[in-house]
Amino acid sequence: MAEVSLQNISKSFGDAQAVRNLTLTIRDGEFVVLLGPTGAGKTTTLRLIAGLERPDKGRVTIGGQDMAGAAPAGRDVAFVFQQYSLYPHLTVYENLAFPLRSPARRLGADEIDRRVREVAKMVRIDHKLENRSTRLSGGEMQRVAIGRALVRKPSIYLMDEPLSSLDAKLRGELRLELKRIQSELGSTLLYVTHDQIEAMTMADRIGILNDGELVQLGTPREIYSNPVNLHVAARLGQPHINLIPEGLVPGGRPPKGTKTIGARTEHLEIHAGNGTANAEIDWIEHLGDQSHLHMRIAGHKLVTLANPYVPVSPGDKIMLSLKDPLYFGGDGQRLV
Amino acid sequence: MTARFRLSGRAVRPDAPASRFLVTPVTDTDTSLMDKAAAKAVRATPAPLAFRVRGLSDRSIAWLFITPTIALLLAINIFPLIWAVYLSFTNFRANRPNAEINGVGLTNYQRVLNDPDIWQAMQTTAHFVFWTILLQMLIGFALAYLIDRKFRGHAFWTTVILIPMMLSPAVVGNFWRFLYQPQIGLFNYIYSFFTGVPPSSFEMLGSVALSPWAIIIVDTWMWTPYVMLICLAGLRSIPDYIYEAAEVDRASAWRQFWSITVPMALPFIMLAVLFRAIENFKMFDMVVLLTGGGPGSTTEVASITLKREAFESWRTGRASAFAIILFVAVFGLANIYVKALNKVKQR
Repeated sequence: MAEVSLQNISKSFGDAQAVRNLTLTIRDGEFVVLLGPTGAGKTTTLRLIAGLERPDKGRVTIGGQDMAGAAPAGRDVAFVFQQYSLYPHLTVYENLAFPLRSPARRLGADEIDRRVREVAKMVRIDHKLENRSTRLSGGEMQRVAIGRALVRKPSIYLMDEPLSSLDAKLRGELRLELKRIQSELGSTLLYVTHDQIEAMTMADRIGILNDGELVQLGTPREIYSNPVNLHVAARLGQPHINLIPEGLVPGGRPPKGTKTIGARTEHLEIHAGNGTANAEIDWIEHLGDQSHLHMRIAGHKLVTLANPYVPVSPGDKIMLSLKDPLYFGGDGQRLV
Repeated sequence: MTARFRLSGRAVRPDAPASRFLVTPVTDTDTSLMDKAAAKAVRATPAPLAFRVRGLSDRSIAWLFITPTIALLLAINIFPLIWAVYLSFTNFRANRPNAEINGVGLTNYQRVLNDPDIWQAMQTTAHFVFWTILLQMLIGFALAYLIDRKFRGHAFWTTVILIPMMLSPAVVGNFWRFLYQPQIGLFNYIYSFFTGVPPSSFEMLGSVALSPWAIIIVDTWMWTPYVMLICLAGLRSIPDYIYEAAEVDRASAWRQFWSITVPMALPFIMLAVLFRAIENFKMFDMVVLLTGGGPGSTTEVASITLKREAFESWRTGRASAFAIILFVAVFGLANIYVKALNKVKQR
C-alpha cells in the first residue's frame, strides 16, 4: 500500500480535454471516490495512474516515486475495468490466478490456490471457478473482475464503476463487503462512480469531478452539507436538491448577491396553511418507509421527503418556509 | 379477455354461428374452454390472407431461390461423385467407351493400395503438405504479428505482401520456372550472390534432392500472404483492453504473447491450416508447370499420379478408386480436424 498523488495532471485526446490540471493525493490506506457524470474524466484519471495513458502535463507519484516513464507492470496497481476485461479463453479460476502467476511475484502453487479460493469466496464466485469466464452473467463477470484485483496486494486499487452491472441487492452487499475488505487490509483505493450512494457510503473522501476538473474534495459530510457550488450541490442528495430563485420562499437570511437558493429536505419546513398558505401539494409518491412530496409554489416545482404518515393529500394548501438553506451567487458559487 | 374474444369472434365466418354461440357464455374463469374456443375461431378463419396477398409463401420463395444452385450442385458435384464410386468397381476405360463394362468388385482398391508408386506419390504429397503448412504458418503469423503493430505504412505493406496471392497459379508456375533457371534465373543468381556458390552449379527443378524444396518454396511464396491475412484477422479480433488488463496484471510481453495472443488467435490459425492443407493436398497446376512431377517422379504429388492414371494410362476404374480413397482420407481427416477446431473455438 502506498500514497498516490497526482500533481497538475492534464490530458487531452485530440480536441477533447479529458483532465484539466488535476491535483489529488490519496493517502495511504484511504478510500477515495471520484464522483462525476459521464465524460467528466473519471476513467481517464484512473488510467493515468495505472500508466495506461501518459499525461500531457503533470506528475504521478506512487509511494513518493515519480512514475513518469514507468510501464503499467512496473507500477504495481490493480485495476477493475468497467468492461470487466476478463481473459475470455480462461476459466474463472485461471482469471483469478493470472496476476499471481506473474514472475514478479514468485508464489508457490499452494499459495496461489489458497488466495484464489479465498478471494472467490469473498466475491461469491467460488461455485463457478471452473466455468469459462465468457459463460457468466454480467454480474458474475464483474465479481470476477473485482476478485482479480483483490487477489493482489498492490500499492493501490483502481476501480472503474465496479458495481454498475450488479443487481440492487448484490450491489448493496458488495458495497459493504468492499468497504470491509478495504478497511481490514488498510488498502489504498481510488474508486470511480456516478452513483452518489456508493460515494456517500464507502468513501473516506469524495472528489467531485466536472469537465475534467476537480471541483471539490472532502469527506462525504462536507461535500453534502458544504458544497462549493451548484454543480456539487446537485450531485448529492435524494431527492435532488431544489434550486429555486431567491425570494420565492420566505425564511432564511440570504447574503447579498444571492441568485439561487438550494433547498434540500432538511432546509424546508412545512406547516398546515391556515389562510397563509403559499404552496400546494401536487402529488405524493409513496416509497414505503417514506414519501416524496411534490409541491408547487408560484409555478415552481419542489420535491421533499416526508414521513409517510404525514396527514396530507394532493391538493392540500400548505405553508412552506426555509431553514438555513444553501445560497448561491449568479456564477453558481456558494455564498456564506 | 373479452376483447380477445371479440376479435376471434370477428374472425369467424358469419356462416358459423355455432362457434359464436359457444363463445358468448364463457366467463373469465373458464380459461381452458376459452382457449379451445379461440383455437376453434382461428381454425375457422379463411386460409392465411397474408400469403394470398404476396402470392407465394416464404418457404416457396426460398425454394425458388435455391433450386438452381441445388440443381447445379447435384449435376456437377454429387452426380459425378456417385458415378465415380460406381466406376471404381468396374473395369471401365474412358478411351474405349463402347467396350463392355464389367464389375470387378474391390480389385481396383486392392491394386491401388498395393501399388508402391501410389504410396510414393502419397509420401511426396505428405512431405509437400507438411512443409508448406509449417513454413506458411510460421512466416504468415510472424508477418501478421508485425503488421498488427500498426507501424507507419502498414496498410501499404499489407497490400504489397498480398500481391503473390492474387496471381494465377499458372502464371506463378511459369514465372518461377524462369527464376529457377540455372543460367539466367534470378533465384540461382541471388543464392550465389550470398553464398558464393556458382549459379549454374545447381538446378532447383532438375535435381532429385532440390526439386521437392523448389515447389515448397514457390507455394510458400504464393500462399503465405493468405495465411497472414487470416492470422491478422485473428490478431485484430483480440481487444486491446485484454492486453491492458494483462499489462496491469504485470504479465511480461513474452507471457502476454503465449497466454493471450496465441490462444486467442488459435482458432484462426487452425482455420488457416485447414484451408491450406485441403488446398495443398490436391495441389496440381503449379507443380505441373514447375516440374511436371519430375525429375523422375520426385515431385509427383497424388493428383498428378491420379491424372496420369486416368488420362494417360486410361485406367478409369482404377483412377476412380484412387480418387475415392483420396476423397475419403481428406474428408475424414478434415472432419476430425473441424471437431478439434470447434472445441478450441468454444473456449
